[in-house]
Amino acid sequence: MVFNSYVFVVFFAVLLGLHNLPLPWRVKKINLLLASYLFYAVWNPPFVVLLWLATAVDFLVARRMAREQRPGPRKLLLTISLALNLGLIGFFKYGGFVLENFTALLHSVGIAFQAAKPDLILPVGISFYTFVTLSYTLDVYRRQAEPEPSFLNFALFVTFFPHLVAGPIVRPADLIPQFKTPKQASREQFLWGLFLLSLGLFMKVTLADGLLAPAADSVFGVPFPLAPLDAWAGVLAFSGQIFCDFAGYSTCAIGVALCLGFVLPDNFRYPYAAIGFSDFWRRWHITLSTWLRDYLYIPLGGNRAGSGRAYLNLMITMLLGGLWHGASWTFVAWGALHGLFLCAERLGRGWASRRAAAPSAQSAAAVVLAGPNAGVYRASLLPAFSPGENLTRFGLALGTLLLVNVTWVFFRAADFSTAARLLGAMFGLIPGGKPLLTTIDLLKVGVLTVGLVGAHWLLRDSSLRQAAARLPWWLLGAGWATLLVALVLTQKSSSSFIYFQF
Amino acid sequence: MLTTLSKAAALASLLVVAFVVGRETQVRRADYGLSYNDDDSLWASQHRRVYADGPLAGPVLIGSSRIKFDLDLATWTRLTGQVPVQLALTGTSPRPVLTALGNDPNFRGTLLVDVTDQLFFAPDGAPQERKAHERLRAWPKWSLAQQASFWLDQKLESRLVMLDEEELTLNAFCKKLPLPNRPGVRSFPAFADNFATNGADRQSAFTASFLRSPAQQAQMKAAWRKLGAAETKRGAGGDTLLAQLRGIKRAVDQIRGRGGRVLFLRFPSTGEFLAAETRCYPRALFWDRLLAYTQAPGIHYADYPALAHFDCPEWSHLAPADAAAFTEALVPLVSYEL
Repeated sequence: MVFNSYVFVVFFAVLLGLHNLPLPWRVKKINLLLASYLFYAVWNPPFVVLLWLATAVDFLVARRMAREQRPGPRKLLLTISLALNLGLIGFFKYGGFVLENFTALLHSVGIAFQAAKPDLILPVGISFYTFVTLSYTLDVYRRQAEPEPSFLNFALFVTFFPHLVAGPIVRPADLIPQFKTPKQASREQFLWGLFLLSLGLFMKVTLADGLLAPAADSVFGVPFPLAPLDAWAGVLAFSGQIFCDFAGYSTCAIGVALCLGFVLPDNFRYPYAAIGFSDFWRRWHITLSTWLRDYLYIPLGGNRAGSGRAYLNLMITMLLGGLWHGASWTFVAWGALHGLFLCAERLGRGWASRRAAAPSAQSAAAVVLAGPNAGVYRASLLPAFSPGENLTRFGLALGTLLLVNVTWVFFRAADFSTAARLLGAMFGLIPGGKPLLTTIDLLKVGVLTVGLVGAHWLLRDSSLRQAAARLPWWLLGAGWATLLVALVLTQKSSSSFIYFQF
Repeated sequence: MLTTLSKAAALASLLVVAFVVGRETQVRRADYGLSYNDDDSLWASQHRRVYADGPLAGPVLIGSSRIKFDLDLATWTRLTGQVPVQLALTGTSPRPVLTALGNDPNFRGTLLVDVTDQLFFAPDGAPQERKAHERLRAWPKWSLAQQASFWLDQKLESRLVMLDEEELTLNAFCKKLPLPNRPGVRSFPAFADNFATNGADRQSAFTASFLRSPAQQAQMKAAWRKLGAAETKRGAGGDTLLAQLRGIKRAVDQIRGRGGRVLFLRFPSTGEFLAAETRCYPRALFWDRLLAYTQAPGIHYADYPALAHFDCPEWSHLAPADAAAFTEALVPLVSYEL
């Protein structure tokens, strides 16, 4: 089931009704759990079994691990959880990719080998819910969390439908405590939740599917070189599309959860106003980047084993992060580029901070690191950036966005030849490129890109809630109505969210 | 914040309801009628009927827009008791669907194939095949959630004219803006507003307002000139055509081998469109060759006085009343051929 469907409207209305009845909290949780299984099963019923398997095994493994003191058996139990979760992803998501590359490798050394291509359906959300359960078993293994004694609470933590298929990737500490006491949205939460749901649907249906996808699909779908303007417009269209689609989903998920009285973590924080790639990853798919930081980068050693090792750990993390998105070398290339840009940024900052080791510069850095965003900076993979003049910051943000768009080419292109052709066109390296997009398509992309970047820049150090609180009620109401009217005028898009395929 | 949100929510609700009521009133006053969105779900809902068996199992119809307009489903049902399965796709070659049905071991019904030359004989992998491939990819994955949503959607679409995606959306509005394009940019010509509707059974029909408007018909003719009615280049022959014919024959033989039946149909065209089709796809080199190569029966409208006297208001499709009469004349001919 997708949020942008009539059946979800009915499903949600019924669930809200049940959730607000004077029923015991345990009954309400069972309702939520059954509703979550139904939400998943109406896509493909047999795959609910995989969800049950991951839930049951990890619940039992974590309970046993917490009681076990001996390192050997504890490691064995963790290995069971890792093998199951990573095995599921490996089989369904990477089986075909591995076979394809194995076949290509044998052919390259002259060995004729052809295996039947497995025709596997990728279970929706598998990359997300396996990471959720893994974070639980890993936290219990590292004794950073106690196992949850209630199977109902744990099952609901894994399966809670707002986050189930495309995140946010919740941690046990984010959600399990919320199930321990009765939750019902206050009027304010409910209304704000509905607003977020409206905004998320507007972003997905109107902006991503309605206005940006056609230009992106056209540009990435042609087999010939394009004029630079068209190439850039297509890439910017995809850049807008993927943000509006994915952040739209997360916004819907957060809104829906809030309507039921639950708080999910933010997943996006105006990434197209990021200054540098480390800032980008503090703003884009935040729950994935923090998951990779906490369960991959830091266990690999992070930056504690010297610079060389830090760069290696960064690259490994980003390469695997790229591969997480899909079984294709273009996703790996996307991850590699982000890794390279992060490394280059780290190198540059290290050099700059060594050069500017004067007392005045140190105190400026100390102010930043003690400021309101200090926790964010300290939590990042890389050292914090000292803010400068607004114009310089804006210029750096645009520079970051330019490079992010270069990486999006690999993310969206079906293969490297398409990516190479598009990049060549973008930078004017291929003469005779053809114009493709109509004037109206160019205008749509232009207006929406400026609007999106502008909105991100204005809100980068704030929040939507704060911005909404500053508006008079009639302006907020008119804006809300505009979102809904635009949704009605765009009509239904029955397309699923881009991140469902990951 | 609660007071702000409450008042904002109330205002938003009021404005949205006012918009919906106002918009629905406006489009009905502008003579727009109910039309069902011809999307993946509607196609899938038809496709699931292709396996129906027995004397009342309707023929499966594949092709382009001509069979959607010109074969009147209600007339067919009235005369035969059968409910046809309409799988034709506007502006699209039916060959991918023919291939898919040929490869489907469970399909053994009757297949009527509309041959609109420039679409039917479009090269493999051409843009004219895109929609067919999309539909073929989507229908096996038509999930329970999508089916439930479709059922709800049909309830709304049967009551609200404003839900017409082709004519009344933001994108439809943007497409109609008179903004000139850069030289070299190929854009789809603007069709006349509100020229046709699509039924829940995928029956297409011209609207009454279109049939009353010479200006709109002229606009459609101008669009057709950009989409083939002014074409002078002969359709691909030689090895390209031979490869296509082989693929078609294979599918036809597969269906007939399972006890199914296949019949090709050529619907009427007039004026400049007919001239272009005659020029670019001479009958002897394409239609006649198709029938000879596949050894499948075919009905060409020009061969039968009962079918040959109809006029197409915009050169390419029949008006609803004529479609009913055309179908009434076609039914006995199809029975005879099959």
